[in-house]
This record gives sequence, structure tokens and C-alpha cells, in this order.
Amino acid sequence: MKLCDFVIPADIDEARARLRELGDAAFPTAGGVSLHFLRFAEPKTAVDLTRLGLSGISRDNGRFTIGATTPVCDLQKHVAEGWVLDRVARRFVTQQIRNISTLGGNICRVFWWSDFPVALLALDASVAVRGESETVLSAEEFLARPLKLLKPGTLVVAIDIPAVESGAGFGYGKETRVGSSFSLATAAACVVVEGNRIKQARVAAGASLSMPQLLPAVGEKLAGETADREAIEKAVATGTEGLAWKGREGMSDPYAAELSRIIIADAITDAVAEART
Amino acid sequence: MKQQEFKVVSKSVEKIDAMSLALGKPSYVADLQPAGTLYVGMLWSPHAHARIKSVDIAAAENMPGVAGVLFHGNVPRVPHTTAGQGFPEPSPYDTVMFDSKVRFVGDRVAAVAAETPKIAAAAAKAIQVEYEVLEPVLSIDDALADGSPVIHDQEDASIPIPVPYEPARNIAARVGMDVGDLEQGLAEADIKLDRTYETHYAQHTPMETHVSLAQVDSRGRLVITTSTQVPFHVRRIVAQTLQIPVQQIRVIKPRIGGGFGAKQEILLEDVAALFALRTGRPVLFEMTRSEEFISSRTRHPQRVRIRSGVTADGRITALGMDVVSNTGAYGSHALTVVCNCGSKVLPLYRTTNIHFEGVTVYTNLPVAGAYRGYGATQACFAVECHMDEVAEAIGMDPLKFRQMNHIRSGEGSPVFAALGEGKEGVEQAIGSCELEECIRLGAEEIGWGGRGMPGEKTGRFRRGIGMACLMQGSSIPRVDMGAASLKMNEDGSFNLLVGATDLGTGSDTVLAQIAAEQLGTDVGKMVVYSSDTDMTPFDVGAYASSTTYLSGEAVRKVAEKVKKQIVAVAANKLGVPAERLVVEASSVATADGSQSVTFSDVAIHALYQMDQFQVGGIASHTTEKSPPPFSAHFAEVEVDTLTGGVRVIKYVAAVDCGTAINPKLAEGQTEGGVLNGISYALTEQYLFDSKGRMSNASFHNYHIFSMRDMPELKTILVPSYEETGPYGAKSVSEICINGPMPAIANAIYNAAGVRLTHPPFTPDKVWQALQ
Amino acid sequence: MSTVKQISLTLNGEPKTFETTADETLVDLLRRHGYRGTKTGCYEGACGACTVILDGRAVYGCLLRAFQAHGRDVQTIEGAGSFDDPHPVQRALVDEGAVQCGFCTPGMVLSAKALLDETPHPGSDTIKEHMDGNLCRCTGYEKIRVAVEKVAASTAMP
Repeated sequence: MKLCDFVIPADIDEARARLRELGDAAFPTAGGVSLHFLRFAEPKTAVDLTRLGLSGISRDNGRFTIGATTPVCDLQKHVAEGWVLDRVARRFVTQQIRNISTLGGNICRVFWWSDFPVALLALDASVAVRGESETVLSAEEFLARPLKLLKPGTLVVAIDIPAVESGAGFGYGKETRVGSSFSLATAAACVVVEGNRIKQARVAAGASLSMPQLLPAVGEKLAGETADREAIEKAVATGTEGLAWKGREGMSDPYAAELSRIIIADAITDAVAEART
Repeated sequence: MKQQEFKVVSKSVEKIDAMSLALGKPSYVADLQPAGTLYVGMLWSPHAHARIKSVDIAAAENMPGVAGVLFHGNVPRVPHTTAGQGFPEPSPYDTVMFDSKVRFVGDRVAAVAAETPKIAAAAAKAIQVEYEVLEPVLSIDDALADGSPVIHDQEDASIPIPVPYEPARNIAARVGMDVGDLEQGLAEADIKLDRTYETHYAQHTPMETHVSLAQVDSRGRLVITTSTQVPFHVRRIVAQTLQIPVQQIRVIKPRIGGGFGAKQEILLEDVAALFALRTGRPVLFEMTRSEEFISSRTRHPQRVRIRSGVTADGRITALGMDVVSNTGAYGSHALTVVCNCGSKVLPLYRTTNIHFEGVTVYTNLPVAGAYRGYGATQACFAVECHMDEVAEAIGMDPLKFRQMNHIRSGEGSPVFAALGEGKEGVEQAIGSCELEECIRLGAEEIGWGGRGMPGEKTGRFRRGIGMACLMQGSSIPRVDMGAASLKMNEDGSFNLLVGATDLGTGSDTVLAQIAAEQLGTDVGKMVVYSSDTDMTPFDVGAYASSTTYLSGEAVRKVAEKVKKQIVAVAANKLGVPAERLVVEASSVATADGSQSVTFSDVAIHALYQMDQFQVGGIASHTTEKSPPPFSAHFAEVEVDTLTGGVRVIKYVAAVDCGTAINPKLAEGQTEGGVLNGISYALTEQYLFDSKGRMSNASFHNYHIFSMRDMPELKTILVPSYEETGPYGAKSVSEICINGPMPAIANAIYNAAGVRLTHPPFTPDKVWQALQ
Repeated sequence: MSTVKQISLTLNGEPKTFETTADETLVDLLRRHGYRGTKTGCYEGACGACTVILDGRAVYGCLLRAFQAHGRDVQTIEGAGSFDDPHPVQRALVDEGAVQCGFCTPGMVLSAKALLDETPHPGSDTIKEHMDGNLCRCTGYEKIRVAVEKVAASTAMP
């Protein structure tokens, strides 16, 4: 048994109160997909977070605000200028999981194969957390220790990302064995291109690393470089030196490293191509 | 009879159970569980090789909700095989219900029956077992090494037929044949090649896992409703294992959620049955998906060495095949699968000097068994890659090389007589063969002429085309038997009762079409029931590509008998000699149409009115031949030369299955087998840790294709007419799975110039080859 | 011990109340109450045999806990069609020869229905994308794809 009881709060205040009361015995959940992959020492009480009014996508001032319990299928089907998360969502496991898994769930319980953290790191997303007051953290800060930040009674309420508009581009790469399986290597890149040069770049990778992570060194090497494949590959090679790549499902570590570098370079190449259009 | 004269056969009539299944009507074993059912939880071995020093079941027995516990201390010890084959079986009796030794991670240790599946699982965990862990044998090389630990060291292991069996050397089976002289053939050749190929573990993954429901009826008989391909073998083997009379057992096969060979095996029925007998309660034993991977059955991994000699002008002077097959911890199908490596592959190409040797070894790894293709899949991969290599060595187009050398109608092969399934084979000349046409149409569809050479291709993404030629068989000659009975009802409908086992293939529909064609009625008048050991005649079951060809002929024969009865009744009723009557559209009429009676009139007359009797009959069929279906497969792939990723763009399967009794179902068999073959080639694999534990026993990391992964699939049915089959039919179900692995390997070579001999062709392997 | 609680939901258009515990999956609850058209093939959210429609979207009944359906609309295969009036997807699957063993079929029907209810005329790529959570080992998907494409192209859907 994983769960011994459930509560279905109707609003944020009630949810926070329940989470505070239950403390470590609470299992805050939205889609509930991660439950399949987790093991608990003691059964917990599920706190259903799907009825708190936290689902939806809105746009303001060149940024999108995504409610924490927005299901991945809404990201998949959302159409707007500068919206890029559909590319990640469309390749996220299967439709039944896209229909139930939420963006908030994907950043609160992070596994090595998690896709959305990689994209959100590259996009320089921010995460709004509601405790006694509302705090906004960068995705980088938040993903470094999501569960530590989420003290009992604290909730992620929204994720905020920029619209990727003229002069900027987003690229996303992913290696899986079959279309619906978990990532073996992922990469996301957000670039700004001016003329023939990359002005700035944020690059993140996952799956072949122990956890999704931002690769600031790659971004630094790319800044000011010419926006061609050769320069991109060179920046990726030098910017990823020293990372501990991990081969999954029978792949060797050196192959995982090579594969990841190609996928990162592909993501940057796609981002550059988009920035130029 | 020519194809265009058929009324029902060769038409894509609606599959008779399709709508009920699409509506979700309760049809499968687990849907049929009654209230009060107990559930089985099994404690499986965590060790690859260990002796059980003690088992303490007290904690489990005393848990609330537990109804019983089985382990080696409280069950009969009867050596048997789990392989559902003819009797006596050509597989070793190396299995007992529960043993004091475990031989792979996932072997049975003890079972619990309890009120809920959760209690059963918890109680199984509560069983205390002390193991003496033994050194495991985890590869073919380990198994054959001198001084290797002996896996089957029990005294009561034996094989019930007179063939070599050497468990003391971890050898489960050995077979061989020589025709002509391989060495001399090699000496005559201009080019000699000696290559080794190695295929991998895979699982059938039927969407419905293995599941059995056992109950004791009001007269104390055991009724087993089970997801099986072999209901009559289930009855026999459960009787043997539990030492109860066959008469006391009824086995019912309801709708089955796929089998592909995995369910040609008796894996759960004995345990469910013994619990039912001991508790008097209904008992359901259903494998979880992870148990299905670890503890059911798999495809034999094989190492296949091919030696060949060819002349510069493309004649094959010698062909040798040496196979080492890994059967895992138990020898189910150990001999017959390896026999098929030779018998279903070597006859395809003409040569006079042929060598074959097959050895099957035990290891402490998951148990192999029957899997669609049955040895031909593995050997065909080796031979069809080899044919490309040979053609390249003499500078010939591999398509042309195959055209020059493949067997044709009217020709025989010495292999047919030399090699059967577990014994010598039966000589046969090929009847129908449209392989030439399959090659021609397939090549045209894929665009063979424009495929180019590997050296000419540049860029990161490179495309290539490869092909393979295939043959299989249609049933096992002088071994298999199918039977059918037919009776007529007063509305002109018929009950067709067949032992043949529809496991989702559509054989009930195909058999109904054959009966309807012969009777002169339509499929809507056929009420088909398969299979139930109390009700239907015997049939060996659904395996060896036998149902349409063998059971279909039994159906045709019984329909022929019944049709004669119908005509005789009509002749009496009309007062017209039988020879002046014709049967058409569920009526019997004089040739000029002036007088007629309907089937319903005939049945009412016979059942109620005059010279009353049941219009009906029973017929059986065996065969002296196993006519091969033939097929040519073509794959177009794209290789990412940076990552090593391989994507199949288009796949063409041209198949000669004789008359396709139901073309849509025949296409469906082909498409399903092809897609399974593609994922076997590219993404399916068993990953083991150093202790022999499978680490990817889940659909999350054992990767089968979804609709999103499928390439463009094109099936071309190339008609031929097999004189010995019902309405010209041969088999179609197995052959299709053999093509993708060699066709894709050959396409990868054509795209990127690298030859892969150790599938699956995962990106890391392709990348490694490209370095 | 798990606490037993009541949940209410709309099942195939009818309001229903069930008792459940937090660790009971939706498919177990449904099958326990006789809705056995919903199959289980993996219990790990991968094969799609347990697919049901929750508030218009296809979901895995084996991953979803029954309580997650509280207050929501659930459709199972029992509500999709009948012998007299099959859903157009059921009719098309049967007509195209896309039903072999049939174990995946109820899930396939509901995935296609959920898609077509939302997008009556999806293109081929959209169909493949939305049907990627339903595994089939018999058909190679070709006839299923053709059947769903035919319904998508037809006027059977509004």
C-alpha cells in the first residue's frame, strides 16, 4: 500500500491547511503519475491538488504564466506566438500520460529522465511558490532542491516562461528508444542571434546526466560565436568537458557522452535556425 | 478450383468475434472470474542458481485471507515439460511443479492463494526461504565450458523420446545432418565465407498476460478456463503433473489476448488447478507484466555460424550452419526450435553440399520456448545477412543472387527428409511457389533499382534498402492432427466445433469460411466454437503455422461429408436423384432450378419429419507435407551517421501464402508479424545484471513499437494455389516475423556500409560500428 | 488500513456512487463493479488496455486512483456503443479487419473516440500522436490507423 487515505481540497487555503496538518504523511498529487515510480516507507494520505483553480495558460508582457496543475496535453495543444512548450509536450511519453501529468508535478518530483525541467532551465523559467506569502524562484534555484523548498503547506502555483520571439529561438532534442519511452538523452537551448553571431545562449541537458541541469559553460562558449554548426559543436565539446555522462539501458557512458553532445548541438542548431526566421 | 470461383473463400468477410471484442464484452479469462475467486501470488526465485535449504510457510499460512500455500514440500514431484507439444513430447522432462532447486531468477519457489491479489502478494513475500546460492551459468560459453556447474543435476530428468540428452554437460538437445560433403563443396568454391551471427532474447508480450482460472464443478471435475494455444495439451499435462485422470479435467479456451507461442506452454494451470482442488474455490492465477517478462517464455537466443562456398558466377557449392541455442533454465522446445533453424531455412537455396548441427544448452537465464518463427527467425537472420555478404563478395546484386539460387515449384530439398521436428523429416517437393513474383513485386514497390551503393552515400542521414527471402512451413507432417465436427440446425445454421485454437488470429472466421464455401452457405450461418476439451474434437492447437492448412482441411472434409448428407435428404424430399442436384446459396436445387429446398427445409425434414437423424459429422486431418509459404521482404532505412540511430522509413512484405482465405486477416497477420520483427531488430532486448537478473522487465524499458513508431507498411499478397491445402491455402502467421531483422541489417549496410551481426541494432551498436 | 470513502462520479452518463480506498486504481474499481470491458495489460501506465475517458480525455485506468475521478465524468467501453448502435470507430475497426485478439481494442476505441470528440477530423500525424499510448502486438497498427483515418475523414463525426 502506498496511500491510506485521500483528501480533495476545494481551494488553495484548504489544500495548504491539509498539507500542514499531515506534514510528512501527505502526498500532494495532481496527475498522480509519479506515484507509480515512488516507494514510501509508510503509507501516505493523498492530497488532490487538481481542483484549486491552478490550471491554465495566460500571456502577459511577453511571458506565459502556466498554472501548476495544467496538464501536459494543454501545453501540447496550446497555440500562440512564441509558445514553444508544445514541442516538449508532444514528445512526452504517451497521450494518456500527457492528459493527466501536470507541469507542476514534473518539476516537483524530478527523475533523471524528466523532460520539462530541461526545457524550463533553458527557457530561464521562474516558479511561483505559495507559502505564507508568494515567492518567485528561478527554475534553476527551484530545481536544485524542489522538495526542500516545498515545506508542508507550501505549493507551487505557477510557472512562468518567456515567449520566444523575433531574434530568439528555442530548440529541443530528445533520444528515446521508441517514441513513447522515457528520455535517454535530452537537451534544450534558447538562443538570441544577431546577424551571424549568437548573442546569448542558455543550454540545458538531462537523462544522460544524474539529473537535468543547466550547462552554463556551453552558453558562455557560444556567446559571441558565429552561428554555424562547426562553432556550435566546438562550444558544446569544450562547454561539456568534465560532465559525468551516464549511459542508460545498456549504452556505454562514452556513447552517452557522444550522443548527448550531438543532441545538444542539434537543439542549439534548431534554436539558431528559428532565431533567424 | 480457381480463385475467382470462390463464393466465401478469398473474401475479407467480417471477423466473427470482432464486434463483440470491440464492444468490450466480457470474453477473456479474467473477465469470467466468478464471485468468491481466490488469487494466486507466486514467490519467484531471486537467485539464478541456488538450492533451497528450507522453506518456512507458517507466517504466510497464518495471514488473514490466505487459503493455501504450495511449495516443493507439499506437492507431487512429477517430472514433465511445460512445452505444449505432441505426445510423447520432444522436450525434456526437466521440470517439476516446485523443486528444491531454483535455476533462474524468476523460477517458482512457492505459491499462495488468498482472498485478494494484494494479500496473495504480501503472503508470498512473507514466506521464509533459506538458499544455498550456487555459481550461475550466464552465457552459452559458460554453459559449454569444461567444469561448468550442472544446472539439471537431479536424477529424474530425462527425455521421453530417443534423442541425445546430456544434462550433465548442460546440453538439452543436439541434432545434426549432412548431405553431400561440406568440405568438398567449399573446395569447389571460388569464394568461401565463414561468419557468425548472434541473436538476442525477446518476449512475445501478448497484451493479455498468461492467466488461468480453475474451478471444481458440481460433480467434482476440474474446469480450467485458460489463456492457451493448446487446450488439449493443457489437459494432458495437468493430468500428468497432478496425477489425476484426463477424464476429470475440462479445459476451456475463451477469447485469448494474443499468444505468439508464449501460450503454447503450461505455466499456470497446474498451480491454479491444485489450489482449486485443495480449497474447492475458484482460483485465478494471472501474471503481472513483469512476471510475463521474467518467468514466462522468451525467444531462444542463438549463435549461428554460417559457412558457405560460391562460384564466381553465383552458384552455391556449400552451405553449412552450426547453431548453439540457449534454452535458459528449462528445455521447453529445446530440440524442435533448433531443428527448425535448419529445416525451415536451409531448403530455401539450392546446393548439394549441406551441413547442419544444432546444440541447445541450458543456462541460468530466463526460459526460452515457442515464439512465432520458432528458430527460423534466428537462422534466417544469419542466412539472409550471409547471402548479402556472399553476393557482395562475388560482385553480384544480392537480389539477383537470390533469384538465381532460390528453390522453385517442383523442386525438393534433401533437408526436408533429413530434418523434421525432433525426428527425421518427410520428403517433399515444393508445390506452389511464387517467390519469384514476391521478389519482383516487392522490389518494384520499394524501388530496389535506385538504392545505390553504400560508398556513394554522403551526409549525416543516409538511406539504404535491404531485402530478405523467407520460407516457413504449414504444420508438422506426420505429427500434427486437427479435427472438426459440424452439425446442422433447423434454421439452416451450423455448429462448427473445432479443437483449433483461435488466439486472436481470426482462425474461427477462416474455418467458418472454409466450411461455408464447402457447404454452399455463408459465414453468417456458421456458429463456431473453439476450443473446449469436453465439447470440441481434438486438435494439437495453434502452433507451427498449422491451423488454416491442417485444421482447415479437417473442416473442409467434415463440411464435404455433411454436404453429402444434405444433398441425400434433399434428394429424398424432392424425389430427384442426388446427382441431379446442385447446392448453392443455402439451398439444394435441380440444375434447371425448377425444384429446390432450402437448408432449413432439409434440416427440419431430417430432424423432425422423415428418416430422422442429426445431419452432422466429424473429420480429422493429418498431413504428409508441410508446404512452405514464401515471402520477400524489403526495408528502407535511414541511418543517422552521427548518433547511430536507425529509422525504418518503409517496409514491404510480399507473401505467397497460397490462397488467402481471408485477405484482410492474412494482411493483418503479416503486418503484425512485421512490426514485431522490426522492433525485435531495433529496440527489444533483455538487459541483465551480473547476477542474471533482468533489469528491464517493464514496457517502460522493454520497448515495443506504438502506432507512432510504425513505418509505412505495405503488404502484397501474391496468390498461388497449394493443391494439398484447403482451397489452395498454406500458412501465413509465422513467416512474416523472420524478415525484418535481416532486411534491416542489409539496409543498414546499404545505407552506411557497416554490417551488424549482433542485434538489436541500437544506436550505440551502430555508432560503434561506424567508428 | 486504508480508509474506505465514498466517491461520486458520472459513469457513461449515469450518476454513480462507489466506495473506494486511496490506493484503489480506477480500473480495479470499474472491474470490481462489473465493467470488465476495460482490460488490464500492464498496471504500469504503458499498454493502454485500461484506457477510459475522464472529462473527455483518454487516461490510464491503472495509473489513476479511483478517487481522482470523484466529481468527474468517466466513459468506459460499455458506454461507447452496442451491437445495434456501435460507435463509428468500433464499426470501422471491425470493417477494416483491425481487431485481432481484441484485447487492446476497447482502449483503442476510447483513445480514438476522445480524439475525435475533441477534433472531429484530425490528420494522420495527429492520429498517430494521440494513439501512441495504446500498444497492440497483433496488428502492426496498420489497419487500426486506416480505420481511424477513415472515421476522421468521414461525415460520421460531426
